[in-house]
Amino acid sequence: MTFTWRQALAELDRRRAAAQSLGGERRVQRAHDQGRLTIRERIEHATSEFHEIGEFAVFHERNGAGESIGTLPSSYVAGLATVDGRHVAVGGEDFTVRGGAPQNYLERFKGGMGGFVEDLAHEYRIPLMLFMEGIGGDVAAQVTKGHAYLVSSMSWQRSYQLLGEVPVTTMISGAAVGGTAGRSVLSHFSVMTQDSVMFAGGPPLVKRALGIDVDKHELGGAQVHTGLTGAIDNIAENDEDAIAQMRRFLSYMPQNVWELPPRGDRSDPTDRRGEELLDIIPENRRRPYPVQKMIETIVDRDSYFAIGADWGRSLSTGLARIDGIPIGVVANNPRFLGGALDGAAAEKQVRFVDMCSTFHLPIVYFVDVPGFMVGPDAERANVVRWGMRAIQSMIEAEVPVITVHVRKAFGMAVSATSNPDRLGLRLAWPSGEWGDLPVEGGVEAGFRREIEAADDPEAFRRLVEERMRATVDPWKTAEAFGVEQMIDPRDTRSVVAAHLNASLHALATTLGPQSRQWRIRP
Amino acid sequence: MSITVVSDVTAAVWKIEVSVGDHVAEGDDLVILEAMKMEIPIEAEVSGTVTAIHVAAGDSVNDGQPLVTIGQP
Repeated sequence: MTFTWRQALAELDRRRAAAQSLGGERRVQRAHDQGRLTIRERIEHATSEFHEIGEFAVFHERNGAGESIGTLPSSYVAGLATVDGRHVAVGGEDFTVRGGAPQNYLERFKGGMGGFVEDLAHEYRIPLMLFMEGIGGDVAAQVTKGHAYLVSSMSWQRSYQLLGEVPVTTMISGAAVGGTAGRSVLSHFSVMTQDSVMFAGGPPLVKRALGIDVDKHELGGAQVHTGLTGAIDNIAENDEDAIAQMRRFLSYMPQNVWELPPRGDRSDPTDRRGEELLDIIPENRRRPYPVQKMIETIVDRDSYFAIGADWGRSLSTGLARIDGIPIGVVANNPRFLGGALDGAAAEKQVRFVDMCSTFHLPIVYFVDVPGFMVGPDAERANVVRWGMRAIQSMIEAEVPVITVHVRKAFGMAVSATSNPDRLGLRLAWPSGEWGDLPVEGGVEAGFRREIEAADDPEAFRRLVEERMRATVDPWKTAEAFGVEQMIDPRDTRSVVAAHLNASLHALATTLGPQSRQWRIRP
Repeated sequence: MSITVVSDVTAAVWKIEVSVGDHVAEGDDLVILEAMKMEIPIEAEVSGTVTAIHVAAGDSVNDGQPLVTIGQP
């Protein structure tokens, strides 16, 4: 047969149409019936320009007896895209083809764990955005290969390496099981739709292994992972919301660790005073306050993006901007556990601070912490080890940290809020109070013997308490330069903005991968 | 229609600020919980009339436990 351009290009069009049709109308309809987008629709929705790679790779479908019954597009879609004007490597499983199972039938993975799309992000130093929906490995895969294989033959290295190089964001809509679940959490920001699930093994596997019946949402639903384990950062209404959140996350991030985060809009004046703060922070010290509202008063208007709001709730974390400069905001939240740092909150801090440090986002830390959380639950959840890791994250942070003392600062947890071996800039509001231990409990614990031996124990206890309370006056600390500067809360925005602007010189001259001082965490 | 306001923390009930039949506006304090020496106000999520109170002062409540039901016309 002679070559003609007409025939050659008609063949390309025919194959393109086959690739576009995914796993067939019936399976696409099933996704739509569940209110989900297909992988192609997700990419279409998230990107403005998409140059697909590996479009014509196929899967040869066989029946149980091994006979060929035709071809389907391969179970992964990947390529180079433009997201909000930036180059991003995008990819995702196609659940309509073999439940998005790994492409062991191809010469090279397109994505999923390593694969072309991850090489693309690594080589071009561009962010990676992944749409996760897949059942993980399946028995059919070994039939395709003709032999069972040791999973350890497959490399995860690229996926871990990327975490230190470029922003990685993942979303789960549908089910993410086994390897797909694993790949989902190897990210800086992850989000799952409210009706999605993620687990190492689903209910049938649990039934076989443990003999128990468990509902899939109870096992690994969005509430479990965003509200309890923290394996996934945020929950989303649906695919569109999840995509919007991933785009929002990327808006604070540089393309890679060798670049500065992009400065945003600077129309919100830095000298805007936070008059509302005096109402937001109640004079009654036993009353908590809405932390997010406090933060939103100080950062650029509408710039606060909460991350991991539903777990480890005694610590709030989120991205924001001040004078357009992307920052990470950490704040103890007295509404939960009185703001005490428990294992979950500490774990949340470690991940968040590591991420900010990696991508050169200065940290603003609002302190109101009565200490490490105490009690049987906290101890059993390993509060001491996680708390010490939180302190380590602060020592290792290679970005400017500006600490704002709102109210309480007691015990070791305070060491997780600032680093005395660097600038250690602590700004205090006159509402601040600090020390080794809060006076009430501290006097009881420190002077128990003396109190018991006193003629009038109650009067003696009061005397000691009064003596201690006199030293708690934050102005005494300011007089001794034990806190760097006392500020009017309403001026927080302008003071922090000045320091952030000045710190850009340091940020711009210390780009590149983070050099961890200590390679392991205790 | 009625809305039941639930606790979002594990805490003790310190004070109940409303009675059955009271009209409440969105944002009004319904119950004050106490945990870790902090007074945690639980606010009305909607305006309406208090139709039921599910806890008493001194009770322990868990995250997700119903506190007050507000009926709306």
